[in-house]
Amino acid sequence: MSGVIRTVSVTRRAVVVADGFWRRRTGLIVPALMLVIGIGLVVGTVTMDVPANTASPGPQVFPAIVAALVIVLAVLLAIDVLRKPEADVVEVAQPAAPGQPDDDLVLDDEGEPQPLRPTSNHRALLGALLTVVVFIAALTPLGWLLSGALLFWGVARALGSRRPLFDILLSLAISSIVQLAFSAGLGLNLPPGVLGGIL
Amino acid sequence: MESLANLGDGFATVLTPINMLWVLIGALLGTAVGVLPGLGSAMAVALLLPVTFSLDPIGAFIMFAGVLFGGLFGDSISGILMNTPGNSTAIAGTIEGHKMATSGRAAQALATSAIGAFIGGIVASILVVFFAPRLAELATLFGPAEYLALAVFAFVAISAVVTESVVRGLAALAIGLAISVVGIDGISGASRFTLGVPELFDGIDIVVITVGLLALGEVFSVAARRGSRDETQLLPSTGRLWLSRRELRLAAPAWLRGTAIGIPFGIIPVGGAEVPTFLAYGTEKRLDARRRSPMFGRGAIQGVAGPEAAGNATAGTAMGALLALGLPTSATAAILLAAFRQYGLQPGPLLFERAPDLVWALLASFFVGMVVLLILNLPFAPLWAKLLKVPRHYLYAGITVFAMLGVYATSSKILDLVLVTVIGLIGFLMRRYGLPVAPMLIAIILGPLAETEFRRAMLVSENDPSILVSSGITVTLYAVLVLAVAGAAFQKIRARRRAVRLAAEPARQRDDA
Repeated sequence: MSGVIRTVSVTRRAVVVADGFWRRRTGLIVPALMLVIGIGLVVGTVTMDVPANTASPGPQVFPAIVAALVIVLAVLLAIDVLRKPEADVVEVAQPAAPGQPDDDLVLDDEGEPQPLRPTSNHRALLGALLTVVVFIAALTPLGWLLSGALLFWGVARALGSRRPLFDILLSLAISSIVQLAFSAGLGLNLPPGVLGGIL
Repeated sequence: MESLANLGDGFATVLTPINMLWVLIGALLGTAVGVLPGLGSAMAVALLLPVTFSLDPIGAFIMFAGVLFGGLFGDSISGILMNTPGNSTAIAGTIEGHKMATSGRAAQALATSAIGAFIGGIVASILVVFFAPRLAELATLFGPAEYLALAVFAFVAISAVVTESVVRGLAALAIGLAISVVGIDGISGASRFTLGVPELFDGIDIVVITVGLLALGEVFSVAARRGSRDETQLLPSTGRLWLSRRELRLAAPAWLRGTAIGIPFGIIPVGGAEVPTFLAYGTEKRLDARRRSPMFGRGAIQGVAGPEAAGNATAGTAMGALLALGLPTSATAAILLAAFRQYGLQPGPLLFERAPDLVWALLASFFVGMVVLLILNLPFAPLWAKLLKVPRHYLYAGITVFAMLGVYATSSKILDLVLVTVIGLIGFLMRRYGLPVAPMLIAIILGPLAETEFRRAMLVSENDPSILVSSGITVTLYAVLVLAVAGAAFQKIRARRRAVRLAAEPARQRDDA
C-alpha cells in the first residue's frame, strides 16, 4: 500500500452566501411538527372514551401532562431557532460534466474556516423516500423478491450509485438471498406476490 | 461466593459450540457496525431483534452482548485510521489516536485501544457479577413512587444534563413520550390516540420505532448529505503491533484510570459513554501537562488508552444496571430492554430469580465475548478497516432492505412499514436540526413505566401527591437530580461567560500568543 487511499470522492464546490430569513430558520419545521403532535394529543385527550368507574387518576392525566410538555417545548424550541439562526454561508456542489469523474478538483479553504450551514440534497432524499413508498405499495401485490430488489436498487441509486444495470443483478441477488435465508431458513413469513406459483 | 458458582454454570451454558457461534457472530457484526461511521450497536440490535425472534432467548442475548461490546471495540478503528469516529463514544479516543496514526504509529494506537476496551470491559463485568445481585436486592425496596423517581431521573438526566441544548433534549423527550401513550391504556382499557385503527391498539411496536429512528433515519440523512464535503482519508496501518515497555508504562495507568472513571457512569442514566470518555481524555491531558515535555497533540498513547477503557467500562456496568434495576442508562441499553420484553422477560430484581440461567449465561458471555473481541481486533484491526471501502450507497441500501424486512417480519402489517417510514423521517429531521435521539428512545421505553407507577402510587395514597416524595430513596433521587441540573447549568453559564470574555478581548489574546 502506498501512502494514502482516498475513500470518498469529492465534488467541485464553491461557497455561496444565501441569507434568506426563512432559509436560515428551516429548523422551525421541528417545533411546527411538535405543535401538530401537541394539538393532536389535546384533541385525543378531550375526546377520549373513558370507561365508567375508572379509578382516578384516569387514562387522561398522563397524556394531558405530555401534551402540555410538547406544546411548551415547541414554543421554546421555536424561540431558540428564531433567535439563533444557522450560518448564512452554504457550500454548493457544482456537478461535474457527465461521464467525467468528479473527484479531480478540490478547492482548498484559505484562511479561517467558516461555519457552514448544512444543506440537504433534496433530490437524493426524495429519491430514497419515494423508493420506500413504492416498496410499501408493491410489497403485497409483487411479493418480497421483486419489491425487495426494487428497494435496494432505488436506495442505492438515490445515494449515488452510477451502475444501474449492475445494480439490478446485485439487488435481485440480495433479495433472493434474503428470501432463502429468512423465509426458508428462519421461517419468516414473506409475501410471495406474483411469483408465488413459481417459487 | 454464590456468584462464582452461578457464573460457572453460565460459562457451562455459553461454552457450547452453538452458543459460541452466536458469540462469534455477535462480535463480528458488532465490530462491523462499530467500524462503519454512523452505525452503532443500538441500530444493529434493533435490526437483529425481529430476525432473532425464532432463536432461543439465551442464544439471542449472548449474540446481543457480542454486538454491544463489538460496537465499542470497532468504533475506534475508523477513528484512528480515518479520523472519522465510528460512534460518538470514540470521539475522545480519536483525537490523539489519529495523531498517532499520522505519525506512523497506527498499529500501536489500535492495539492500545483494543487492550483498553478489553480491560475496561472485563473489570466492569467482574463488578457486575459481584454487585448486580446485591443491587437487585436493593431494588426490591423500590415501590411505585421510587420507580417513578427513577424514571424521572432518567428522563431529566438524559435530556437536560448531557445534551448540548437543553431545549432540544427535552423536545426529543416530549416527542418520545407522545409516541409512548398511543395504544390501549393498560389500567383502564381506554383506547388512546388510536383513531380507531385496530393495528394501533397495542401501541407502536418498539422495533418499528428503533428501526425507524436509528436505521431509516440514518439512511435518509445520508441521502440528504450526498454530495456535501466529506473528505476522509484512510491511513494505512503501519508500525509495530506490540507495545514497547515504555509505551506500556504510559498506557497501563491510563487504562486503569479510564476504567475507574467509566464504571460509575454505567449506573447513572446520562445517555451512554460520551461523558466518561471525554472525562478520561481530560484527565489524561491534565496529567500529561505536568510532564516536562507534554505528549498530547503529538499522538499521546494515554489519550487513546483512557477514553477507550472508560467507554467499555461504562457499557459493562450499564448492563448491570439494566439487569438488576431494569433501568436503561443509554440508547443501547434501552433497546436491550425492549429485547427482554420481546421475550416476555422484565429486567429488574425479579429477573435474577425468574431466569437465573439466562442472566448468568449472559454475564458469562460478556467475558467470553471480550476475549473473542480482543482476538478479533488486536491482530486484525487493519483488515476491519477494509470494510470502509464498501461503497456507501450499497451499504445503506442493504440497511434499508434489512430494516424493512425486520419490521415486516415481526408483524406482517403494512401499517408498520408506513409508520417506520414516518418515524424514519422524524429521525432525519432530528439529525438535521440537532435533536438527540437517546432521550426519545428512553422516553418511549420508560414512559409507560412512569405512567403506570405514577397512577399506582396515586391509587395507593388516594390521590395524595405527597406519597411521591415520602421515602428516603425518592427524596435522595430528586435531590441528586436537582444538584446535577444545577451543576450542569452552572457549568454552561461559566462556559458562556468565558466565550464572551474571549470574544471581547481578541487583541489581548493575540498579544499573549
